[in-house]
Amino acid sequence: MTRLLDGGATASPAGVVPAGGPPSAGDQAERDRRYRLIRSAMADQGLDALVAFAPGWRRENVRYLTDAPVRGSVALVLLPAAGEPVAFSVRRADAAAIIAGGWVTDAGVLELPEAAALTSRLADLAPKRVGVAHGELLPVVLADALRSAVPTAEIVSATALMDDVRLTKSTWEIARMRRSATVCEAGWRAFVDVLEPGLPEYRIVAEVESELKRLGAEDNFMLIASGGDEVRGMTPPGRRLLEDGDMVRTELTPQMDGYWLQICRSAVVGEPSDGQRRSFDLFNEAVDAGVSVVRPGVTAHEVAVAQNDVFRRHGYGEYCTSQYTRVRGHGHGLHLDETPIIEGNETVLPEGAVFIIHPNTFTPLAGYHVLGDPVVVTKTGAEILIGTERKLFSTSEERAS
Amino acid sequence: MKRGLVVLDHAEIPEDERAGRVAALQRRLPADGVDVALVYGDVYRSDDVGYLTNLCIYWNEGIVAVPATGDPVFLTKLSPRVHTWMRRTSNVEDLRSGKSFGPLVKELLAGREPGVVGLVEGRLWPATIVADLTAALPGWELRPLGGLVREQRLVPSEHELALLRDGAALMARATAQVTPPGPATAWVSAAERELRGGGYAEVLVDTATTRDGVASIEITGQYRYGWLRAARVVAGTDGPAWASALDTALRAAIGAARDGAPETDLSAAARPALAGLPDGSVHDVAWTNQADLATNGDFERHAGDMRLALGAVGAITIDVALPDGGRAVVADTVLVGEESAECLTKG
Repeated sequence: MTRLLDGGATASPAGVVPAGGPPSAGDQAERDRRYRLIRSAMADQGLDALVAFAPGWRRENVRYLTDAPVRGSVALVLLPAAGEPVAFSVRRADAAAIIAGGWVTDAGVLELPEAAALTSRLADLAPKRVGVAHGELLPVVLADALRSAVPTAEIVSATALMDDVRLTKSTWEIARMRRSATVCEAGWRAFVDVLEPGLPEYRIVAEVESELKRLGAEDNFMLIASGGDEVRGMTPPGRRLLEDGDMVRTELTPQMDGYWLQICRSAVVGEPSDGQRRSFDLFNEAVDAGVSVVRPGVTAHEVAVAQNDVFRRHGYGEYCTSQYTRVRGHGHGLHLDETPIIEGNETVLPEGAVFIIHPNTFTPLAGYHVLGDPVVVTKTGAEILIGTERKLFSTSEERAS
Repeated sequence: MKRGLVVLDHAEIPEDERAGRVAALQRRLPADGVDVALVYGDVYRSDDVGYLTNLCIYWNEGIVAVPATGDPVFLTKLSPRVHTWMRRTSNVEDLRSGKSFGPLVKELLAGREPGVVGLVEGRLWPATIVADLTAALPGWELRPLGGLVREQRLVPSEHELALLRDGAALMARATAQVTPPGPATAWVSAAERELRGGGYAEVLVDTATTRDGVASIEITGQYRYGWLRAARVVAGTDGPAWASALDTALRAAIGAARDGAPETDLSAAARPALAGLPDGSVHDVAWTNQADLATNGDFERHAGDMRLALGAVGAITIDVALPDGGRAVVADTVLVGEESAECLTKG
């Protein structure tokens, strides 16, 4: 039954029943696949119920369970080991969007601080063991409410459980990520097209954002850096004006239909210097090396080692350390920064895992350089998901062509 | 996500005003018996941190430690590699990075006699971080505090208001481009170009449609550390009458926004114009102080009786849920005056 619960908030009277309609057969199959996987993992861990918590900056698990975009500061889904899930948000529009999506047909407004709509449903289940995905981020007020609702239950983290389930993307998901890839390519094209001396960094971002949103992107995560050899990392944009000879770097990560995908490229304003060309060659070789080792069962560690070995071979190994860089890539999906591709991370990457290979770091050759392609693990290796040429872009070459 | 212009400009906010923000917080701490106040922020909700430090937590989490006397310190999970950028954009000089906050705070307080650590808006802190700090600080009392920094932000200073007016002018230009026929993605695209191109740090856009062809666009954005909102409906010349009545209702609500007015006055003023909404519709008329717009006031909505304060800036939003599942929204950001409000975002 489709219904909209209401927590009793005076600002959110009950009775709104959005017209959503049932999901398509394909969507239904995808939802069933997800719930089956999660419930299997719950059974392995002895969980009677799972609570997926979405604070404003980590909504991937609620999206995974509902396929609906939510915007509230707090949203949750309660998935019992058996029976239908129920969703909550502090915003009425979220509850309506969830119901309209058709995956979860029981959704309501959560009134803080009591969160009574959630806690009463959880208490009704009388669980012995509850897993909370992103429980690490639960605010005190909600953590206390959950504990009070099920005082004798064991409450454990289910963050890793959900991370593991989401790691392997289905055909359904990869189809969505291919749309993200198309938008990545267009975003990079907009980035290159706007570069010219005298343009402030933040105006570049404005043009890229405008293009991404024109194409329907829900959101975008983007860092930028411009300048020469002195650039040590990526940040939000400033007022710095581009100069001839600058290398302008970006990590550009649009979100389409929930799915994030990243492209990393660098472009030179004017003609590239010898150092910039040598830097590109080094990073390109590292990306190639990372791609070359991808196969079902490869570990994140092995993909990182393949990239770092290129730097070591050329005498730049020290620039693969945390003093200069963070990771050699990371997973993609409903969160933009899933499992890190870094030495020491033994996470196995199965067929269907999607991640970016980017050896981004500083070297003395040309300062911080970013270059990377997102890939999906296939039966035989890696498929690069974007069609953007991997080269050192330069405005002089682009304008000439 | 926050990826627009981040800048520290002393011509916009003088250095002594920034120092005064920290000093104002410090003056309140002795009354609560607090030795050090900690202010938490993450990429989604970090305006208290931004207010005190001008730091943009564009990713991950951070804590500003404000001792009862002395300079503030910023503790973050972001890498030391971005400290250079942070120093360029912040009035805080002492920046410390680590993988978790317990060891960072422990190191910060090393050598001090145990006392009281106040957690500003402690009820909203991640419980695990509170547990981490508790374990790291034996002998110290961790005491949850109210929204001490938020309270400072509720009525903008003269300089802050000037920035809000600059941001409002950009917002007015963005919404002026919301014209038929759309599509909504074209409006969103134009808003991004106008606002981020004008220096907005964050732009959040929500669009909605109804079955009878009424489209809405709600734009909420952050200009420096102030927030603004405007929302418009586009119904076309043959659109339903209720759509045009929404703007009438919004103007009426704005007209009722004056010093000391309860939020219910805004609803009462808007109600006559909303009488023509389709049967079964549900509407909210909400005031959200700009200090709370990052979260749409989600954490303050149920705080009880709320009265508008002279000089406060906030969004008045009329949000309509139609019985068929559609949604329509109108909004503007206003400055509360003694007898009336000034609409800032209507060009």
